[in-house]
Formats: sequence, C-alpha cells, structure tokens
Amino acid sequence: MHPPEAPLVSLVLTGRNDGYGGDFTTRFFRTLRFNHAQLTARDVPHEIVFVEWAPPEDEPLLVERIFDAIPDLDPRVCSWYVVDPRYQDALSLNPRLQYLEFLAKNVGVRRARGRFVLTSNCDVYLGRRVLDALQQGRLQPGVLYRAPRHDIKLAVDQSHLDWAVLEDPRNLDGPAHVLRPPYMGSATGDFVLLDRESFHEIRGFNEIYRTARIGIDRNVLVKALSSGITIEDIGGPVYHVNHVGSYRVSPAAYAGREGEAPWGDRRWHSGGVSYTNPPTWGLAQAPERRLDERRVDLDFSWEAVPPLVDLRRVVLPVARRGGPVPGQYVRKR
Amino acid sequence: MSRFLSALLSVFGLVSARRYQALLQQVTELKAGAADWKAKAGEALSRAKSLEQDVKRQTQLAARFKAAAEKAQQRQSEIESLQAQLEHAERELTGAREHLMVIEVKLDILEGAANVLDTRTRAVAPRRTGETGAPA
Repeated sequence: MHPPEAPLVSLVLTGRNDGYGGDFTTRFFRTLRFNHAQLTARDVPHEIVFVEWAPPEDEPLLVERIFDAIPDLDPRVCSWYVVDPRYQDALSLNPRLQYLEFLAKNVGVRRARGRFVLTSNCDVYLGRRVLDALQQGRLQPGVLYRAPRHDIKLAVDQSHLDWAVLEDPRNLDGPAHVLRPPYMGSATGDFVLLDRESFHEIRGFNEIYRTARIGIDRNVLVKALSSGITIEDIGGPVYHVNHVGSYRVSPAAYAGREGEAPWGDRRWHSGGVSYTNPPTWGLAQAPERRLDERRVDLDFSWEAVPPLVDLRRVVLPVARRGGPVPGQYVRKR
Repeated sequence: MSRFLSALLSVFGLVSARRYQALLQQVTELKAGAADWKAKAGEALSRAKSLEQDVKRQTQLAARFKAAAEKAQQRQSEIESLQAQLEHAERELTGAREHLMVIEVKLDILEGAANVLDTRTRAVAPRRTGETGAPA
C-alpha cells in the first residue's frame, strides 16, 4: 500500500554539518539545488527525505540553513529527520566509524512516502538518462536500478555545475564505473533505486554488521538477489563530485592497516553473506517529535536500539531459480 | 573283331598293346597327379599349422585385450567414482567457505561488540571506584 498522494520517487539523502570532505554544506546545497530543479522542471513528483544523523552540537543544523541557501526548494516536498547523536554511540560497533551512513539511510527509507525510493549521496548529480527514466515512468517494481558513476575532477570549478560542465569529457576523472552482472556494483551507495514495497520487504540496508560502512551498499545487492529482486542498469550515469578524504580519491590510504580506516575494513565478506534486519529496522521505535511541517526529531530511546549483537541475523544468501548465485567467497586475510 | 580279341585277351588277364600304353599313360598321369596333390596337401598342412599358430597368437592377444578392456572399464568406473567424489568435495568446500564467511562476519561483530563494551566499561569504572571509595 502506498501512502495517499504518494510522490513517484523519494530521494533519500543523509548528512550533517560536520565539514566532511572539506566544504560539505556548499557541495550538498549545490547538488540538491540542481537535482530538485531538474526533477521539478520535468514535473517528476518527488520528495526529498533528508536524515540529519547525529549532528554536532556546536554547529547549526542543516535544516536551519537549507531553505535560506536554496530559496527555490519547496518545503512541501521536504521531510527532514534529525536523529539524536546518542544513536550513533549506542549502535556503533567500531569507534572509528563516526557516521553510520546506512543506518541513517534506513531511517529515511523507512519513512519515505514515494512509490520508488532512491538512496543516494549529497554530492551526486542525477544524469539525463536517470531523469528520463523517472519522467517517462519506466520504473518497474521488483527491480533494483543501478547507475554507473562518473567522477568529476577535483580541479573543476564546482560553483557552476551544469550540463555543459557535467557532460564535458575533459572534466571527468576517467570513464564511468562499469556495472557488471550479477551485482551491478561499484559506487553502489550513490544510486540504489527500488520500489518502496520491495525496500520494505528486504528491510533496507544491513543493520546487523555495524563495524564498517564500506561494502554495506554492495551487501544490499546480495540481499536483493537473494530475495528474488533483479538488478538492472537504469541506462545512464550519475555524476559524483570528487572531494578530499573520499574513498574514491584515496582507496589505498589504509593499505596494510585496513582495520584503522574511517570507513571500516573493506575486506569484510560483503559479497558473500546476507542479513535479516529486525522488523524495527530504520529506528522504527524511536520517539518522533514533530517540530514543524517539514522537521521531525527522532529522540533517543533504548527501546529503539537493536541489540549490540544479534548473530542469528547474519545468514547465507540463497540462489533463486534462474538467478545467479548471490554469494561468493572472498579470502579476507 | 577287335572287341572279340580284346574280350579273348581279357579272359587270360591280358590287354592289347594299345590299351596297355593308354593305361600306362593314365597311370603315369595319376602318379604325377598324386605327387602334385601330395605336395598340395603338404602345403595345406603347413599353412594349417601356420594358421593354427596364428589363431593361438590371436587368441592370446584377444585374451590380453579383453583383460586390458576389463581393466580400462574398471579404471573408467574408478574415474567416474573419483569425479563424483570430486564434485561432492567441491560442493562441500563451497559450503564450508560460505559458512566460514558467516563465521568470520560474526566474529567481526563479536570483536566490535567486545571493544565497544570494553570502552564503555572503562568509562564507567572510574566513576564507580570513586563512588565506593575503593582504590583506583
């Protein structure tokens, strides 16, 4: 069942005003302005779901700045969730992870109203083919759509990113990432588009393995295949703006000491195991306090925090009839 | 007349000279034929002996081939059995690897939880020590 007057697509984004990767807020505002303008220009009914995860106490909230920064942003299409910082501490299984990105995404996915839910990142520009697919209503339920990613060079002036800049091959940091079956992975966190019901059926991203955030996006593909969902390329790229500190720019920065990486140990078996989130995934039991039409605060409650360890929810993926084998052994050490 | 004379001579066990010559010629021819047949029989005999040896040799070969074929068939069965065992072992290995992955992931979670609880305990312990007045 869809909520009444459900938009076609909910764009789920997460972040906070912590200066991640340099000037995070400027990057985010530019990207959101572009994507919202493109969706509006094409009359795509959409909703922006933003999860402000564990925001720092000494900085203003993004929700307090966004509508001044983007006057064209229609507040009626925005749903803003501010998550109490204590959830980060209560849920963390790795103190080096300062930001449980996919738990934050699940908060948004759980509450998104759109018929389709697109989880992406704050520095990802939607490409023309992606917008075409949304505008033409070509999306099918039960299909997880992926888009290859182009990286925009660090040196490119990002103050006026438009189609001319985005589509100029001289500004691209190499060819687009290749999506290979069966997973169609690579930079998955930048684009996972699935109908709302299927997203709820698989209960979002993995909430059991909280020692890394890298690979959790790939892991949702294993879960999707194991659940009988097909994975397809939507037909065109998205554009990611390179920035300092991202895994894309410095993937080998923690070679030989992978356990110390701020994104966790990338060698965990994200391609080989699956998971079963509890029915309360996405902080379903967190007390919600509505501050105004667009902002809801998720207050802290231990009732909403899943167990620190719930090992029976780590499971083997299963092969579906006619589908590929989802699991694949990767030697870790 | 001639028949009469021949009949008369035959009464005394005699034949005419012409008849004698004809019979002599016939005997000579038969003798030659007999020698010829004798030679042929000798050849046939020796050929038969040779063929007999051949048969013996071929029989031995056939027996050896039969034994080899039986051995090959046995090997084939062994190979098929080994192949089945190999496939089974591969399936077992895949399953073991899958379970190993699950165990490693669970160990990661347990390790993470242990570290988190250790940190929390260390944060709480000094306060408790202060509360009870026990030496730090």
